[in-house]
Amino acid sequence: MNQKFWQSEWFGPLLITVTAIVIVSSLNPSFLSPFNIQILLLAISVNAMIAFSQMIIIAIGQMNLSVGAIGGMAAISFGGMMEVWGIPWPIAAVLSLSIGLLAGIANGALCAYTGISAFVITLASLSIFKGINLGITEAQPFYDIPDTVKSLGNDTFLHPLPWLVLPAVAAAVLLWYLLFRLPLGRAILAVGGNEHAAALSGISVPRIVIVAHAISGLLAALAGIMLVGRLQIGQPTIGDDWLILSFAAPVIGGAILTGGHVSVAGTFLGVAIVAIITQVLVLFSIDPFLVQVVLGGLILWAVGINRYREVRAHRKIAAGAI
Amino acid sequence: MTEIFNAQGILKTFPGVKALEDVSVSLTRGSIHALLGENGAGKSTLIKVMTGVYRPDGGAMMLDGAEYEPQNTHDAIVKGIGVVHQERNLIPRFSIAENIFLEHLADQPLRRIDYPKLFQDAQRWLDLLEIDADPATPVDRLSVAKMQLVEIAKALSLNSKILMLDEPTASLTPHETDTLFGILRRLRDDGASLVFVSHKLEEVQEICDSVTVLRDGQNACESRRLDELGRQDIVRLMIGRSEMIPDWVARDRAEGQPVLELSNVSTKLGHKAVDLKVHKGEIVGLYGLVGAGRSELAKAVLGKFEITDGEVLVNGISAKINSVADAVGRYRIGYVSEDRKSEGLVLIHSVLENVGIPIWRRLSQFGGFLTNGTVRKHTVPFIQKLEVRTPSLEQQVGNLSGGNQQKISVAKWLAAEAQVLIIDEPSVGIDIKTKAYLHELIRELSDTGTAILLITSDMPEMIALADRIVVMNEYAVMGGFNNTRDYTEMSEGIMGLIQGDETAAA
Repeated sequence: MNQKFWQSEWFGPLLITVTAIVIVSSLNPSFLSPFNIQILLLAISVNAMIAFSQMIIIAIGQMNLSVGAIGGMAAISFGGMMEVWGIPWPIAAVLSLSIGLLAGIANGALCAYTGISAFVITLASLSIFKGINLGITEAQPFYDIPDTVKSLGNDTFLHPLPWLVLPAVAAAVLLWYLLFRLPLGRAILAVGGNEHAAALSGISVPRIVIVAHAISGLLAALAGIMLVGRLQIGQPTIGDDWLILSFAAPVIGGAILTGGHVSVAGTFLGVAIVAIITQVLVLFSIDPFLVQVVLGGLILWAVGINRYREVRAHRKIAAGAI
Repeated sequence: MTEIFNAQGILKTFPGVKALEDVSVSLTRGSIHALLGENGAGKSTLIKVMTGVYRPDGGAMMLDGAEYEPQNTHDAIVKGIGVVHQERNLIPRFSIAENIFLEHLADQPLRRIDYPKLFQDAQRWLDLLEIDADPATPVDRLSVAKMQLVEIAKALSLNSKILMLDEPTASLTPHETDTLFGILRRLRDDGASLVFVSHKLEEVQEICDSVTVLRDGQNACESRRLDELGRQDIVRLMIGRSEMIPDWVARDRAEGQPVLELSNVSTKLGHKAVDLKVHKGEIVGLYGLVGAGRSELAKAVLGKFEITDGEVLVNGISAKINSVADAVGRYRIGYVSEDRKSEGLVLIHSVLENVGIPIWRRLSQFGGFLTNGTVRKHTVPFIQKLEVRTPSLEQQVGNLSGGNQQKISVAKWLAAEAQVLIIDEPSVGIDIKTKAYLHELIRELSDTGTAILLITSDMPEMIALADRIVVMNEYAVMGGFNNTRDYTEMSEGIMGLIQGDETAAA
């Protein structure tokens, strides 16, 4: 895009991120210690995956309340397959990802063919997936996680870059490529921008909705699996607290909740901002409940910015300036 | 004739633009006043100033002898200027009565609503406007025409001294328009002052008594009597030059293999045994009243609605169109929607992206993925060809004027190299200059071999453009004939075919 970079939606979040890093590190130099950076990147990697799984649904103008439930279900499947059946971790990972994918496809097919809103469909499937999770685990974690998985979930391949950064970066690049370079991705955004116009331009809307939900399910499952490695335990509660973050990061990154516009870089920065704030509160020993308050404030701020841009654009149109 | 409203020296500026400059308007009691101007001439801004949406930066308004300075829209209504917008503003599931009296359902917010009385009061308005409906009916069960009358009733019930009607006939059939005009005339004769905003000069000349024309945010003429002006005078005032009426001859291109042929097509929606042929390079005009099933037929051809009987042939071969994707991708049939904002364009996306939509898949086959460069190469020539006025290709189309949006809706099918183009009501909400340009373009397109099915309720447009006219009524084709471009003969022929059915059905 030929837009000037300071007008793009990721510039604001970038400015905040950089400013936050500068201020915090000057107040507390240990913020930029290799160890702290590693911790920060671990959080960002997993959270980016969670945010992306929601972002792709925001792109088609829907919402997916079941990202956490899908992630949780994939996580305990991953842990359970390794502990109970002794399946090697790579195979268990692939199978768990398939579970996430299928859950996403089910969401998508229901949304596409019933005409019921995604909010209701995913609210119901959230309950179903979470129920399956609790049925399998009886609310007990799987403890027997292979050392390789634990290591991949915490260690670095190049100090201070943890292994988990790799899937997050790969997902970001692939999503950007999909959304902005592949017809499929352009179609996803077109459906979000105006479903009717997209349909009358020859785009198969149901197919696009299913694909978007499938990608969402896959990414949520990936986040769940990564979290098993990082926590070193197959917790049944994985995913319970993803929902707010999953909306906050894309919105901070400039996504429009009615669809048609998302930013991969912006979402990534949104995740980074949330991670930095969380870290700062820990570093300065501030009560963690404030994270929630700040997060809510950030969402309002981000939506406010979007709204302001919209209003300004409308004024320009009304004035016939364009 | 006493003056009821007067505005002098109205100035309204927006950052960088003078939307209105030294505009004056004068309305007399008991008259219908036309407010004319092309898109962007300042009509909407003036309406917004009069109805309290904007505060003017200069000038003064007088209403009924008193100074009029509306603080907001509510204030304007209270002071006596009501407006019926082009878009419907009714609460869908509420009853007619509730909609009419929405602002004052009861004296106090916590007082119980006296429904019998509400319905009784509403009935008076329904009688006055000759609306044949029970006041308890939810408005979403009404026809578009009746909804419009309900809005007029609503505005009148607020004791409007002036009632502004913004494009009131845009979605009405000729018959409904006649009924509306009858009612408006009666209201005028009872002493009401109406302001009528429309693009349709025929209608303006039929119903209005006086006129104000705006051009580029200024008065092209002071408020004056309409009968002093001929159609050409009005057009000259509006666009600053006379209307160019192309002296095209209708061509006979109905020979050889039709590119698109409907043979005995019936649909789930109720189309009965429709036969229709469009040949290479031919413009077939599909005329019918709103509700005749023309757009629906187009969408059935596109695979949006199921065809239950008969077949669609493309280049003589039976076409299996199960989805719009088939129609666009395999048979290269394009559709320019009558409702470009909700069906034609992705308003929040850029010009470039909107034009590129139908060809993304095709372009991606070259290199496996889409580059901005490839998309540009295949779209920019058409954007330029259509002279789309946009600050940049990245501009959101929602920010462009109606005319430019329409050009983009057409450009996308040029880029897609459509062999059949179905164009639905191309000049709704478009100014005269752009309309003339679009007509030339459609004509040019047909000369390059594109088969065009033109759906329009605009009789002059139909007679200017079509090579052959096919008339539809109540989801069936009533007949067709070659266009001789003789306005009287053609319009009588068309009305004859439509009424032929009505008398047969009666």
